[in-house]
Amino acid sequence: MKTVLDRLSSNSFVWVCMLPVLVFLVVVAIAPTTLAIIDSFRDLSLTQFTKRGEFLALENYRDLIGGDETFYTAVWHTFIFVAIVVPFEFVFGLAIALWITREFTGRRLVLTIIMIPTMIAPVVVGMIWRFLLMPSFGMLTVYLNRIGLFNEISIFSHPITSFAALMMIDIWEWTPFVMLILLAGLTAMPKAPIEAARLDGASRWQILWHVQIPLLKPLIIIALLLRSIDASKIFDTVWVLTAGGPGNATEVISTFAYRTNFIKWDLGYGAAVCLVLAFVSLVVAALFYKVVSGQSAAGVK
Amino acid sequence: MGRRNPLTFVIPLVFLLAISLLPFIWILLASFKMKIDLITNEPKWITFDPTTINYVEIFSKGFDQYFLNSAIIGFSSTFLVVTVGTLAAYGFSRFKIPAGNHLFFYILATRLGPPVAYALPMYLIFKELGLVNTHAGIILAHATFNLVIVVWMMKSFFDDIPREVEEAAYLDGCSHYGVFFRIALPMTLPGLVTCAIFVLIFSWNELLFALILTGGETRTLTVMIPSLVLHTGTLWGQVAAASIVQSIPILIFIFFIQRHLVRGLTFGAVKG
Repeated sequence: MKTVLDRLSSNSFVWVCMLPVLVFLVVVAIAPTTLAIIDSFRDLSLTQFTKRGEFLALENYRDLIGGDETFYTAVWHTFIFVAIVVPFEFVFGLAIALWITREFTGRRLVLTIIMIPTMIAPVVVGMIWRFLLMPSFGMLTVYLNRIGLFNEISIFSHPITSFAALMMIDIWEWTPFVMLILLAGLTAMPKAPIEAARLDGASRWQILWHVQIPLLKPLIIIALLLRSIDASKIFDTVWVLTAGGPGNATEVISTFAYRTNFIKWDLGYGAAVCLVLAFVSLVVAALFYKVVSGQSAAGVK
Repeated sequence: MGRRNPLTFVIPLVFLLAISLLPFIWILLASFKMKIDLITNEPKWITFDPTTINYVEIFSKGFDQYFLNSAIIGFSSTFLVVTVGTLAAYGFSRFKIPAGNHLFFYILATRLGPPVAYALPMYLIFKELGLVNTHAGIILAHATFNLVIVVWMMKSFFDDIPREVEEAAYLDGCSHYGVFFRIALPMTLPGLVTCAIFVLIFSWNELLFALILTGGETRTLTVMIPSLVLHTGTLWGQVAAASIVQSIPILIFIFFIQRHLVRGLTFGAVKG
């Protein structure tokens, strides 16, 4: 340990690298989280917004974990959502990335167009699809009606179809994001191993499976990790399209937390909700992180 | 392999373009429609009288100010987080940081909880610091949840730089600063640009923090769009026009930045 510290003090550049991020984290992450922990022990509704409310100890947590059915429903919906959309986004994203690494005229334009769904604001995505799937008059609704679909019920009035629609919209929106991360990896990838495999007579699938995917692994993990985390936090599109409905058929974690905090203004309880979620995601992330470091230890490079 | 086989080239191309573009084209058309052409049983692709009334309407509602706010916030938070994050990523990649693994993991954690989880605490802290309804507050908030993208991606790109290149530079008498700015940074430029693009988009498009931390003169573009959903009915024409104006800068920016993305700078160095 002493040798490490000695080396650190002799190398001022380490501090140049690390000090900004440390200061930054204290201001924007550690301080607010501490405040959230304090709030979660209190009865803090809108009427006590300016002063700290009554101290409740663990009552908020007991109510939440002990008996809030809406909370568990939202967690279950979110889990299903992530488990379905992320694999689709990965497979489609990898396929498109591999397809687009070839050279052709207009490639830049094509890449730009493919990136549109990810680039535009989630709020705008939600509004576009709300407009497309509007009952009776939406462009897509009209065509779906003509082939005999959704004539009796509109898409967002049935639990299953509204949930499926949200998933399809998410896949439409985020596949290009996965694609661009993998494409950056493919672009930066050394050409020598691929050439060597080709000279050894490997097929395209063999090169993909045994050369490209192993080399891409760090970026694949990052892409999956970020998408899983982000998908579990989906808010904007759900809020604009279904607001968790019909009933609570599409209620996900973020809409539940938003409703608790900013519709019911139950801020202490809302803070407890958020911290429980943050804790669960920490556990999930710890597992992911172990996988990531396990890989670099195994020496993929 | 079929390099220009129409089955493996043209068909996927047309399919991809259509699926990515059609919803966007539809909203573009809608932005030029009168109300009477927006709500119909027969989708109107060409047969309508184009109008610019929707654009006129949104700009009369102070749209230019919101646009400027979004730009200031987007570029500032991108600059901030790319600077902080790239330095940190290089530190994690090259030096033994005491408790570095924990710190690395904690950076990931800043993006874990739902934004709703940080929104209220951040509001309370920023209120103490006088940062609510200022550009600085929302810039910090946006930089926070983008930090992990920069740190993780940049570390992976730095890790990919062959050791020999930097060691050669050290032998030639280069300092840590010199190696970072003259070797590591240029070699990871495609990755850096990718990160910056993502970060800028996420800030530009962010809604929840903008709703809570901005107000009045500092409001952003994304806050305005949902405000056009009234309980008397949604102003679809104006929603479409606002969405188009909000989206166009990103489309242009991405198109001109593409070349940096695909430049395989990193691995040319060793072979040469």
